[in-house]
Amino acid sequence: MKILHLAWRNVFRHTRRTLITASAISVGLSAMILSNTMMNGADKMASENIIQYETGHMQIFAKGYYREEGIFPLDTIIEEPETIIQHVRTHRNVAGVTERVKFQARVNNGVDELPTLAYGIDIENDSEVFRIAQSVVDGAFLKEREDILIGTDLARDMGFAIGSYLTVITKDRYGTYNANDFFVSGLINTTHPLFDRNAVLMKLEVAQQLLDLDHGVTEICVRVRNSAQLASAQRDITALIGAKYEVYTWRELNAAIFEISGFKRLSQFMIALVVLIIAAVGIVNTMLMAVMERIPEIGTLKAMGFRNNSIVQMFVLEGGIIGAFGSLLGCIFGVLMSLYVAIQGLDFSQFFGDMDVGYPIKMIIKGEIDFLTILLVFLFGVVVTILVSLWPVRMATRLEPVDALRHV
Amino acid sequence: MVEVNELHKDYRVGKVLFPALRGVNTVIQDGEFTAIAGPSGSGKTTLLNIIGCLDSPTSGTVYIDGTDTGTLTTREKANLRKNQIGFVFQTFNLIPVLTAFENVEIPLLLLDTKTDENKDRVVGILEEVGLAEYLHRKPNEMSGGQQQRVAIARALVKRPSLVLADEPTANLDSTTAREILELMQELNRKFHTTFVFSTHDQLVMDYAERIIGLRDGMIVDDKRKETPA
Repeated sequence: MKILHLAWRNVFRHTRRTLITASAISVGLSAMILSNTMMNGADKMASENIIQYETGHMQIFAKGYYREEGIFPLDTIIEEPETIIQHVRTHRNVAGVTERVKFQARVNNGVDELPTLAYGIDIENDSEVFRIAQSVVDGAFLKEREDILIGTDLARDMGFAIGSYLTVITKDRYGTYNANDFFVSGLINTTHPLFDRNAVLMKLEVAQQLLDLDHGVTEICVRVRNSAQLASAQRDITALIGAKYEVYTWRELNAAIFEISGFKRLSQFMIALVVLIIAAVGIVNTMLMAVMERIPEIGTLKAMGFRNNSIVQMFVLEGGIIGAFGSLLGCIFGVLMSLYVAIQGLDFSQFFGDMDVGYPIKMIIKGEIDFLTILLVFLFGVVVTILVSLWPVRMATRLEPVDALRHV
Repeated sequence: MVEVNELHKDYRVGKVLFPALRGVNTVIQDGEFTAIAGPSGSGKTTLLNIIGCLDSPTSGTVYIDGTDTGTLTTREKANLRKNQIGFVFQTFNLIPVLTAFENVEIPLLLLDTKTDENKDRVVGILEEVGLAEYLHRKPNEMSGGQQQRVAIARALVKRPSLVLADEPTANLDSTTAREILELMQELNRKFHTTFVFSTHDQLVMDYAERIIGLRDGMIVDDKRKETPA
């Protein structure tokens, strides 16, 4: 206890030096916390976007469809979705089911043409799974056969407004070109960049007719009540609907995106780690100075009968106090910055515009604070400082007392 | 009792071997107030350091209360210093961030004494050295003489049998030096603690009961006074 007291006093011998070292640690740690908050936020936003607009919690395809999803294989579709939907609805964890037709189409405004992702949605049931209806910011949801919903960004790029006339051109399941005219009934503004920039949505039966699918759909989307039990729901439903179909969770469908996320997370963590290593060099430097200038004092303590262990303990405690102080400071700064990012969000659109970063989020990132990470980061900071304090003091205690006393 | 037999200590400076002690033999009895006198480089500090187990001899033996210190491990030497030997340094060597009270308390932290008892002992010894009013001052708030008093209190607080003082008055003016010497003499008589101090100052020698003269690493003189000043 007394050694702690002595260490505490020693820490404040050079208040400025202590503060500079502690702030170096705190910069490293707050960077770690902020980067973690932002990545958590980005992941959460991406997950929500995927679930709420793109896939729901699970998707059911005809066997073989998903493997070739990139080419939109309209020859591998679910021909009789009704029976499957009825089966799926019986599962206790299922909150909502809807069917969709997804296909590639070009949208023409009479002058320009853009490739888009077109969806035929079941207007009765879509809201059980997705939030498209709630995202209509102008005009109305789909009602008539010729109604079409488009994203606000696409509307801006193509010069569309409510009531604008457009043509959707695509190939049907037999490879024959087909086209249909629509009127823009509503503009949607989701938080998913893909939908706002690239998607057009029409009624399911219109899409089926356009693609000559009869009653077939490309996918059935499921929302569950308890997403923690998604895996068991997936197993149950797979068993329920039989081997002609396959069921994927939203995570499986977006594995590539979360791989990117993991990589980004790692690289951001590495940057923060480098900052922390620089801070650690600062601590070594501080401790080295503290030890060097106090070598005669170490000699005095040894003359009084202090053992090396006690002296090492004292210096390590000093390092630990500086580390704990810096880490605490870092956590406070990190949390404050994270809170700002979590509440206000960080708008990157000024830097990157509408650039596609390969991640289904918009350029305003709302952070998500993870307190366990903050605790771990704090402990990490303290442990690192203690470890790097050991080296200089070990060196000093190796001196004979007489050499330490004589040291100038 | 301190017994020194055929003590040699060589320092290597580059390729040159420099003999600091060249066969020192002496016995210092319990309760003696002994000065080791001699010019700079005569080996006074080296002798004190070896007696105090801060340094090891090249050859020869030192016995403290019958223990051959040459046979002790580092840990045992630390224990011997902890329990039996107090040091007073020329430059006081107080811990600057601690108060007089806390500086004096340090040696007791290593002993298994109770906190209350420690407090009484620290206050008692600081009163003894005339610093009852200065318990909570830090070294930089005290004069050189006061700092050396704290150092003496620190050396004596654990009631060692031997106090080794290396040029204890060299950094003090003559009036303060006199006060410090009188204090050490008084404590020597009161507690029957053996004091061995090195000096090249005539004033200090005037106070000593016994003066061991050292020159070029050898004892050249050993005088006892019947009635010290």
